[in-house]
Amino acid sequence: MAYNILVVDDSAVVRAVIKKTLTLAGIDVGQIFNAENGQVGLDIASTEWIDLIFADINMPIMGGIEMVERMSEEGLLSTIPIIIVSTEGSATRIAELKKKGVAAYVRKPFTPESIREVVSQIMGD
Amino acid sequence: MDTERVELIENVFCDVFENLAFMFGEPTGKDELEANGNEHTLAHISFKGARTGEIVLIAPDDMCPEIAANVLGVDPDDEQVGELAGDALKEMINIICGRLLTDLESKDLVFDLSVPEIKNIKSEEWSVWLKKEGSLGFIVDEYPVILYLQMED
Repeated sequence: MAYNILVVDDSAVVRAVIKKTLTLAGIDVGQIFNAENGQVGLDIASTEWIDLIFADINMPIMGGIEMVERMSEEGLLSTIPIIIVSTEGSATRIAELKKKGVAAYVRKPFTPESIREVVSQIMGD
Repeated sequence: MDTERVELIENVFCDVFENLAFMFGEPTGKDELEANGNEHTLAHISFKGARTGEIVLIAPDDMCPEIAANVLGVDPDDEQVGELAGDALKEMINIICGRLLTDLESKDLVFDLSVPEIKNIKSEEWSVWLKKEGSLGFIVDEYPVILYLQMED
């Protein structure tokens, strides 16, 4: 099954690297949508069919944590798995994110193997 | 800064450049570091939480497209490289900051990082940053790079 994936990161470099890594990881990708902050991500997730979201934490306008909180309040959006991709390594922060409903956390820099592993766990491939 | 702390910062810096941009860094005495041309890009990130501070990364303008090409895994002549050169340096400082905070402090502490910003500086300002107490010098694939860390207790 091909997944529609939304990548939410203010860095165009990171968005491009995630896109490339998904291909290298052998993940069957349908459409990839890009958002430069959480607000744009919410707008896209509300209007497009999205199977999986990769999101950063620190972004202007709306960060990843606020986006996760807002999505958890919206019926259909709350069912989309979110993988946080960030530089932060705080175990306390990761535990907080999981409590908020984040499906997984991947620390930068990541590898195709780590992305494939986490996607397989979440999507059950 | 004590020797152990300096070594840890140097290791994180070199590790991030090697793993993310496939560029090899080596710590260099500040008195041996010379500006490469007159144009440099300065990337800045600040953090607050358990500790407050800022990190600055300064690289020659010529180096930034090379970082972008390596991070993206594309040819240096690829059209997206020029557009994403500054963005690539922002990502480098973002990752260095995240790594330093957990390696220097504790994995249990929470920090809020700012969104990285960049600006262009000339050699005069480059020299000012090099002389600062919290700055360290590196040679990365023959490019001179400055890393500055300031952290309040």
